Amino acid sequence: MEQFFNTYFDFSLMGEYFGDVLEGFWWTIRLSIFGGALALIWGLILAVLRQAPGKALAPVRWIVIAYIDCLRGIPMLLTLLLIYGGLGTLQSEGTIPKWLGLPEFLGWPPYFWYGVMALTLVYGAYMAEVYRAGIESVPRGQMEAARSLGMSHNQAMRFVIVPQAVRRVIPPLLNDYIALMKDTSLVSVISMPEVVRIGSDIYSTTFNPSALTLGAILFLVVTLPLARLVDWQIKRQDEKFQRGMA
Amino acid sequence: MTEPIKQPVREVSRGETILKINNLRKVYGDLEVLKDIDLEIKKGEVICVLGPSGSGKSTMLRCLNLLEVPTAGTLELKGEMIFDGKRTEKLDELRQETGMVFQSFNLFPNMTAKENVSIAQIRVRGRKKQDAHRRSIEELTKVGLEAKVDEYPDRLSGGQQQRVAIARALAMDPEVMLFDEVTSALDPELVKGVLDVMRGLADSGMTMICVTHEIGFAREVADRVIFMDGGYIVEQGPPDDVLGNPKEERTKKFLGLVLEH
Repeated sequence: MEQFFNTYFDFSLMGEYFGDVLEGFWWTIRLSIFGGALALIWGLILAVLRQAPGKALAPVRWIVIAYIDCLRGIPMLLTLLLIYGGLGTLQSEGTIPKWLGLPEFLGWPPYFWYGVMALTLVYGAYMAEVYRAGIESVPRGQMEAARSLGMSHNQAMRFVIVPQAVRRVIPPLLNDYIALMKDTSLVSVISMPEVVRIGSDIYSTTFNPSALTLGAILFLVVTLPLARLVDWQIKRQDEKFQRGMA
Repeated sequence: MTEPIKQPVREVSRGETILKINNLRKVYGDLEVLKDIDLEIKKGEVICVLGPSGSGKSTMLRCLNLLEVPTAGTLELKGEMIFDGKRTEKLDELRQETGMVFQSFNLFPNMTAKENVSIAQIRVRGRKKQDAHRRSIEELTKVGLEAKVDEYPDRLSGGQQQRVAIARALAMDPEVMLFDEVTSALDPELVKGVLDVMRGLADSGMTMICVTHEIGFAREVADRVIFMDGGYIVEQGPPDDVLGNPKEERTKKFLGLVLEH
């Protein structure tokens, strides 16, 4: 038992490297904030395009469905490596502009932004499915009422359907957000010094995984309250439904 | 995103044809819901449409503002072709001239009564927010809900919700009002309040087409009663004739069943 504690919970080592691990976790947080915010927006755009009405817009629907299915069908690690492996080269050959091929917004390194891109592209696809479920759960009569008042399809979506849909899908979106947050660790493979990368670097010099344990604890500090928040939201919505609202 | 203000549409005077459908058919898969409907609606007319469930009366009503796209037939608004059997033109114009009230109210649950009545005024008619709100309060007062303007729909009774829905349609200044079984989902004691509003509207000269099961209302308010069955208009005429002295067997049978209890 003592051996176990000395291996995983070496407090002196944790203390020594606390600053480094925290710095890594700060990248993790930034990845989740940028990737998460963009995925939320991109997912909503995809979901709305997927509901585009009429025969003329059928190709738009097909493309969106194909995109969503493909991105959900490929491991995110692979998507990330494809972005990392291609954009830099394309940029140096002048095929794509520098802001896309070698992005350095806010002075942060390209591999950070590659990570944000991968998270956005992949989690946008997941979140699009969540939004879609929300949009489809809004009763048909809402769209009919809006259209009968003379609103266009787009106006009805924007002012009537989407605001109701988003409210209904906050809990599943938060679940996806927790998953996204954990998947930021994949960006470690393209040398992003986020918390997992830092932890394993420390391990390879000290042969003790306590820095990784510290990383796990930092994750839990954020994800556990989020999980409680999801439960609380679900409970609140159930109560609303029981009162015949929402 | 604000759409163009109401286009100038030709004014029609009382008694002139405002909506006209010809040879209207509607098919869902194998099911022919509307078989061959001709109907002319004149400005100021109050029409009540009766018939057993599945007779196609609601579908016909929904074809009048093209919420359902007919399989065949034509629809004209004030002499202008809106639907020629294949393509829809001037859909905005049609929707802005017709207000619709639904059986299930369909109020927007995320907006207060006032906002429900205002949203289309602002986004479709291009009215300023204050003007729209003022108008909404006016319309809500007319239907007896001046005390409820800031309530959300879940805080209103079914009858109150339905009156908000009527106010919401009226605030758009429609020329024709379509009512689709608007009292069917209401508790009996709430029906009267809604029918009173409709009665007042009929008295004010509004053109109205009401799909309804309220025979008493039809007898009292309608200029013309239409009886539908099996996708056809079986019989139509003044309420005294159709309800008091029906010619067709099917009408007699239906009225017998409805009036029995």
